[in-house]
Amino acid sequence: MDMEMVKYLADLSKLEFSDEKLGETAQQMTSIIELMDTVKEIDVTYDAYKDNHDVFLPELRSDSVIPSMETAKIVSNAKSSDNCFVVPKVVE
Amino acid sequence: MELKDMKLRDMRKALDSKEISAKELAESYLDRIKKYDGEIKSYITVTEELALSQAQEAQQIIDRGEAQALTGIPVAIKDNICTQGVRTTCASRMLENFIPPYDATVMEKLNSQNIVMLGKTSMDEFAMGGSTQTSAFAKTVNPYNKGCVPGGSSGGSAAAVSARLAPVALGTDTGGSIRQPASFCGITGIKPTYSRVSRFGLVAFASSLDQIGTMALSAEDCGVLLNAICGFDMHDGTSSREDVPDFTAKIGESMKGVRIALPKEYFAEGIDDEVRQCVLAAAEQYRAMGAEIIECSMPSLKYAVSCYYLLACAEAASNLSRYDGIKYGHRTERECDSYEELIVRSRSEGFGDEVKRRILLGNYCLSSGYYDAYYRKALALRQLVRKEYNDIFEKCDMILTPTAPTVAYSPEKTADPVSMYQADICTVTVNIAGLPAISTTCGYDKNGMPIGMSLIGKKFAEQDIIKAASAFEQGFTPVLPRM
Repeated sequence: MDMEMVKYLADLSKLEFSDEKLGETAQQMTSIIELMDTVKEIDVTYDAYKDNHDVFLPELRSDSVIPSMETAKIVSNAKSSDNCFVVPKVVE
Repeated sequence: MELKDMKLRDMRKALDSKEISAKELAESYLDRIKKYDGEIKSYITVTEELALSQAQEAQQIIDRGEAQALTGIPVAIKDNICTQGVRTTCASRMLENFIPPYDATVMEKLNSQNIVMLGKTSMDEFAMGGSTQTSAFAKTVNPYNKGCVPGGSSGGSAAAVSARLAPVALGTDTGGSIRQPASFCGITGIKPTYSRVSRFGLVAFASSLDQIGTMALSAEDCGVLLNAICGFDMHDGTSSREDVPDFTAKIGESMKGVRIALPKEYFAEGIDDEVRQCVLAAAEQYRAMGAEIIECSMPSLKYAVSCYYLLACAEAASNLSRYDGIKYGHRTERECDSYEELIVRSRSEGFGDEVKRRILLGNYCLSSGYYDAYYRKALALRQLVRKEYNDIFEKCDMILTPTAPTVAYSPEKTADPVSMYQADICTVTVNIAGLPAISTTCGYDKNGMPIGMSLIGKKFAEQDIIKAASAFEQGFTPVLPRM
């Protein structure tokens, strides 16, 4: 895997790497993809219907409002104000 | 008998007859944790105050004669299972200070029986690994040899039970993360059928593969704990409505006529000689009990590791995209010029190297131009693995394999990601197919390191594999680590 691909994937993944780490990661990812390439040796086709046909609608709950989690608990792991998450002021 | 060597049956009797109190039992384990865990490093968070308070509550219930199977029993919980008010880190800096506002369903079930939670055990970061060495907080060692890894990702739970720093523990298994550390640490661990145990409150790694399971010194104790955590949950859309039997009910039944298949690919090149010989000897033990040993074949094993990692990492890339530093988790303290930068910096600072590699791999195989060749191909291979298992199960009741290709090794050997992935060869097909499997110790190598064997059952057939594992354990004398 070349550096351009790693940079592209890092962008997709919302991750950043130092230049040194980028090189190391590219090497590791190359070896990992070589292992993943084993799947290309076999010819099999995916049958999507087989996996996705057994959702039984009667088992779904009714579309009604039921108590959820208290807002105070939801915001308890971040800075909050007025039941909103507080984030740094960023002006782009 | 010392408290630390008691199985759950003995503990229940001792508690109910008032031979020991719940407080004494909790304190005995907390004292052992203080004495030994500085070296073993199995716990990330020890909940001493909570444990003693829970022991007090449990004692009141015992005194009223209303104890359930697990009332007053100390339990260790893997640190990717949400415990309300108790730090849950997933062994990651990303969640270093995360305090869940709710209990996982499994915790609600255990708390309804008034267990005593000893603490949260170490693991590979976000359950991604096979050694517990990617833990950001506690790189657990193997109680049999402190120069060896305990396995992973439930290495903390495995080591805690092995070193008798907890009688039983919860672990999770996405690609072997209960069974392999159970094998490395000389204990028993079971991954139930996918959908048996609610995943609500389990921090997600790969949602179509993750399952919570149990770890203990015996198959029976694994079954007792499993009884408590299984069952339909409306909060988990994949949860099964299958009836939950007493998983220990068949223990003691004869193994005569039980058909056990040995897939030849699991005993071929790549498996250590001592491991192979030990598991084959176990098969002979089953034959002596009257079981029928059958050879079978699983050609898809060749593609299992790549199939598993493509599926698991694709799902992980999606699941871990929730960690953006906004609602919870690590947020960078550096000044950022945009929200994009805030999110990228937070994630890059919070995640370890292995987690980052798996996210990259996941996004690679899902990205345009690669999706069909990798992810869709992996989906097709998953169907092939399931078909092969179905075909094998037409002719047998369960399947016997080594749990891992080797015994526990030194941490230096974890440096190469590809070797680590390949070491999962014996366990991943079980997760791909969603089947139940139990690992129990079947011997020791020339250096005294435990060797584990796995029994894989048909869907929802946990009773059968627990029975079979227990049958072997009855005739096996384990060598516990000296501590």
